[in-house]
Formats: sequence, structure tokens, C-alpha cells
Amino acid sequence: MSSILHPAAAPQSAALRSFAAQWDSRPADSLSPLREQALQRFLKLGLPTTRDETWRYTNLRSLAARSFVDAPRKARGEIEPNASFALLNKADRAASLLMVNGYPSMPLADGLIDGVEIYSLRDVLRLDPGTMLRFQDPLTDADDRRWTLLNTALFVDGLYLKITSRVSVPLVILHVGTADGDNNIAYPRVIIEVTPGSGATIIEHHVAQGEHTPLNNSNTQIVLRRDAQIEHYRVFATGADATHIDSLTIRQEQDSRCKQFTIVLGGGLLRATLDAHLDKPGASLDSYSLLVGHESRHVDCVNLVTHAAPDTRSNQVARAIASGTSRVIFNSKVIVNAGAVHAESQQSCRGLLLSPTAEIDTRPQLEIHADEVKCAHGATTGRLDPNMLFYMLSRGLDRDTAQSLLVYAFLADALTGMSVASARAAIENALIAQLPDSQTLRNFR
Amino acid sequence: MRGTILLKITDLSARVAGKDILKGVNLEVRAGEVHAIMGPNGSGKSTLAQVLAGREDYEITGGSVTYEGRDFLSMPTEERARAGLFLGFQYPVEIPGVNNVYLLKAALNAKRKAAGEPEVDAYEFLTLIRQKMKLMHMSEAFLTRGVNEGFSGGEKKRNEILQMLVLEPKLAILDETDSGLDIDALKVVSAGVNSLRNPDRAIILVTHYQRLLDYVVPDRIHVLSGGRIMKSGDRSLAHELERRGYDWVLETEVA
Repeated sequence: MSSILHPAAAPQSAALRSFAAQWDSRPADSLSPLREQALQRFLKLGLPTTRDETWRYTNLRSLAARSFVDAPRKARGEIEPNASFALLNKADRAASLLMVNGYPSMPLADGLIDGVEIYSLRDVLRLDPGTMLRFQDPLTDADDRRWTLLNTALFVDGLYLKITSRVSVPLVILHVGTADGDNNIAYPRVIIEVTPGSGATIIEHHVAQGEHTPLNNSNTQIVLRRDAQIEHYRVFATGADATHIDSLTIRQEQDSRCKQFTIVLGGGLLRATLDAHLDKPGASLDSYSLLVGHESRHVDCVNLVTHAAPDTRSNQVARAIASGTSRVIFNSKVIVNAGAVHAESQQSCRGLLLSPTAEIDTRPQLEIHADEVKCAHGATTGRLDPNMLFYMLSRGLDRDTAQSLLVYAFLADALTGMSVASARAAIENALIAQLPDSQTLRNFR
Repeated sequence: MRGTILLKITDLSARVAGKDILKGVNLEVRAGEVHAIMGPNGSGKSTLAQVLAGREDYEITGGSVTYEGRDFLSMPTEERARAGLFLGFQYPVEIPGVNNVYLLKAALNAKRKAAGEPEVDAYEFLTLIRQKMKLMHMSEAFLTRGVNEGFSGGEKKRNEILQMLVLEPKLAILDETDSGLDIDALKVVSAGVNSLRNPDRAIILVTHYQRLLDYVVPDRIHVLSGGRIMKSGDRSLAHELERRGYDWVLETEVA
């Protein structure tokens, strides 16, 4: 394919040049015209900077000087899912899918799962271009969608899950990131479609293996048809050297229900975007964000919820804690479009600072263009309540235990809605491991 | 025969937010005794209780406190508790999300650990709690709730006494445990306190009214006013205070 870089364009950074070089090495496929437009847009706009509204707290300048190459494709046998990768136990009878650096591993699933059709995106691109195109959102210059442009341009493979009934077992997509060197990049892409009246619980679990971790530009799209429902988890549990930019888009049709959990327990720099569209009346979204800033981790979470139809409801609960020199940012914005009467939205974000060098920024926003809506939002950030702490100390608990219990209690609101008990237990365990007195807390439960 | 000296407070002074509250308190409490500290509002009663429990926002400006001969003021709050102190709070703190039973179990285990004993068996612990809850007329719902979460004033006070019964302190300081209780609840709470009385333990009741003292009869009564103990006496002092008011103590002091 000919070079995408316009000769007259302004000097490009090494990163942009490397993305263009990746494009040049891609074979043409049914999505090429759209992909080319997406890449051109991305190259023109460049990497987001802190001057872009939704990126003001996250500086990606260090990426610009790097020349990225595709993270390697690995066979199933080259991956050793260790115990820490397991979110569920055998009793859950869960189905598990493996994606390594964005490439689905064959066979796609351990066995057939009733009510779930599983395709590789490579096959969909080849055999069913119409379906592929149906899931492509219009390209946009919006800075919160910037990395989606790049993913759209450069993803090679991925998963398309079509849920066609009420599936009772949870489905786990284990995303493993593993790199051969410093400058690998991966473009995982997942499309989940839940057909009318169907439902599923899907857990996307991001982990890393090996010495190097690729820059991860992952993208998931969820489409809920009429009366469909989903409980979706994205759990980030990579190492401290990982940079991860994840975009999740949800489109909801009439009377569909979505429960979404975003759980950050790992990573060095993590950006997680949720872009939800309540497109038809009766659509309902509950979003829970549990953001743990640990050591020098940087977590930037952006939620955009658009009420585009009457009688839609959304509820966002965010709990952020920050210790060490970590920084946690939670920006949520609810937009109620004109005509979306009787929309109901709630945003509750609370932050808890555990060290004087940590930082939490929360910003709930509302943009209302319709009458007769019910919208509420609240944000607070503080330290542990000294009265609660004193009360527990006066009962003989040591300081670490008392603090850990209070932190745990603080986060509990974001955990209680989880219906997969073993996933909740595993997530709690991972969470507790990052609290001051993990051993005592384990004994409590 | 009088018991050994458990707590000895000598010339204790303390301030909070730059204001002197305690101005030289002297008090000696022996094992087996029940003392009542009475006094008008703002006299420093609650400050004394909080200082003894190790609250950090209070600055000790003078004096000393020994507990079983050890320097109490140099011990952090949690160590004082493990050494046998229990403070019943005037305003018990609500801690949503932390289960009542978890807290109690953690408290008991912390104490046992400090004493070199093994952790309490889960089954034995629940049996113990159920038995004490019955004594305090508390419902089973208590077991699943957060610490003091959504409790009425009376329930919170009963919960304080329940904790005390489970932890079996050597020295209990009960700060206005009687306030906000109706007569039935007062009887239940008093029965709980009385059940703990024995020759090895001491109890300090901090109260504004003598009502509680009809049910938990003290050995000694002290009147705290202006940050000092102005008068001490036996239980008849409570009735005299009830009749003549706190002003009487202040006047006799001046005279």
C-alpha cells in the first residue's frame, strides 16, 4: 500500500511515522477505505496533548519519540496463564477466550457455548464485510475518541461475540499483553452484540506476561438490541510498566439494560474511556468504577453518557483511592439531548486520599438540553475520617488494620452490584493486596 | 481490703484547639471500684475520657497518668485498649460498610494476640456474641449491620455496652452512656454494666445526672468543674448535688 503520509504535512513525530509504517505493511481488506480515513484523521490530529479537554491530566509526550512496531502474534502454547490470571474458579463453569496482543487464540473457545456465536474479526472482515461495517461508528475528531481512530485503522484481528439467548455462564476474555521489546503496540478489538431479549455476563481481564509489555490500544464495542442485557467487566491488572489506553463504547436500544464495571488494579499509566449511548426509550445503564491508585500509578477514567431518547436512565458510581505518589482522575459527563424527556441520571464519585503525595481529581459534569429531566451529581474527596479511625483504635485494632477496613468499606459500594460471586471475591482479593494490611483483611472475609 | 491501684492521674492538664480544658486533675482508681465523675456541661468530663483513651487532637500540657504502674500517656490508643481500657463513647461513631461483628472480632483478637492467646474460634465467638446480645436485648439484625449504622441513640449505647461485655476490660470509662436512654434502656444498660463488676475491674462513669447512679451504685463520686476535681465523696454526694445543684460545689470551694 502506498504511503499514507502527506509529503506536505508538518513534521511528524517518530510515533506517528511508525503508525504510518504499520499501515503501509497492512494488506488491504474490506474495511480499508474507512481505516485509511481514520488513520489520516489520527495523523492530522496527532497524539492527544494536555491541551485537549479530556486529556488535560494525562501527558503522553513520552510516547511521541518512540517508534512502535506490532506486538508479536503468539500461539496458545507460548502463553502460560498463571494462577494470578484466574478471576473465576471451576465451579463457575465459565467459558474462557484467550486474546494475545489482540489476536484471538485458536480454538476460539474451550467448547461450544449455548447461545454464543464466536467469530474472529479476521473472518468477519473477509466473509461478512457488511456486518463489520454495521458496527463502525462515524469517525470523529473528538479527543476522547482519538485512539479509537488508530485502533480502527490498524487492528488486524479480534473477536466478534454474538449473544443469541440468555447465557447463564459467565464468559471470560483473557487479554494477555506480551512484548518482544520496548516499543511494541497492540490493537485488541472486541465487538459484543446482544440480540433482542438475550443476555450475558462478560468479563474482559487484561493481564501481562513477560518482561516487556506492549503499549495497549484496546477497543471494545457493545451493542444491546431491544430488551437485551449485559453485565460487563473490564479488569485491568497489568504491571507497573504498562501503558494502556482502553476505549469502551456502548450502544443501547429500547429497554436494554447494562451493568458495567471498570476495575483498575494494575498498570503504570491507564486511560479508560466509557462512551455510552442510551439511544432508545427505556435503556438503562449502571456504571461502577473502582479505581485504585497504588505506588506511582496514573489512572485517567473518562465516562461519557449520552441520553439520546426519552425515559432513559443512567447511574454512575465511582470510587477512587490513591496511595503513594499515584494519581487518579475521574471525569464523567452526562449529556441529555433535546427531546430526551424524563431522563434520569445520577453521578456519585468519591475519592479517598491515603497519602499526602497522592492526588485525586474528580469532575462530574452535566449538559442538559431537555426539559423534565431528573439529574443529580455529587463529588467528594477527602482523607479517612479521624473519628472512625479513633473509634476503631480505641477498640484495640492496629492502625493498618483500621485503615484497611475503612478503605475497604469505602470501596464496597462499587462492588456490591457484582453478580458473579467468585469474580467479586477474586477482585476483592487483588484489591486487598494493594491495601496496607492485607493479611489481616484476608482473615476477615 | 482495697484493691491495687489501677489508674493514677496526677496533676493532669490538657488543651484542645489552644484552649486549656483540664487544669490539674488528680484521681486514683483501684481495682474493684466504681467511680462517678459528675459535673456541669463544659467542665472537661468528656475531655478527660478522651485524653485517657489517647485521642490525638488533645495536647497534654502537664501531669502524668499511670495504668498498672505503666506510663499511660506514652502508649498509643490501640495499646491502651489492648492493655484493658475500654472507652464507651458519648457519641458512638457510625462506620458504614464495616460490619459490627467484624469489628468486635478484630478487637477481641487484637486483645488476645497482645496477651499471647490464640485467635477466637469463629463458632465460639458467635455463641458468645449471641449470649451477650440477649443480655442487652439486641435483635439478630445487629449481626449483619455496619458499625452503629442507622442505629437509634439507645441502640448505639447498648452496642457500646455489648462491646464492653465481649472485651471484658480491666478499666471501663463510660462517657455519658446514660444520656438519651429511656428508663427501660437505662435498666438494660445498667444491668450490663453491673454484670461486669468484680474485684479485678474498675469502672468510671462520666455523667451529668445522678439517675444512672441509682442503678450502678458508685463507691466514689467526684465533681469536675473548670478542669479540676472540686469535690469528692461517697454516693450521698450525688443526692446532695441533685438537690442543691453544681453551683453549691463551686460556692463551697470559693468559701
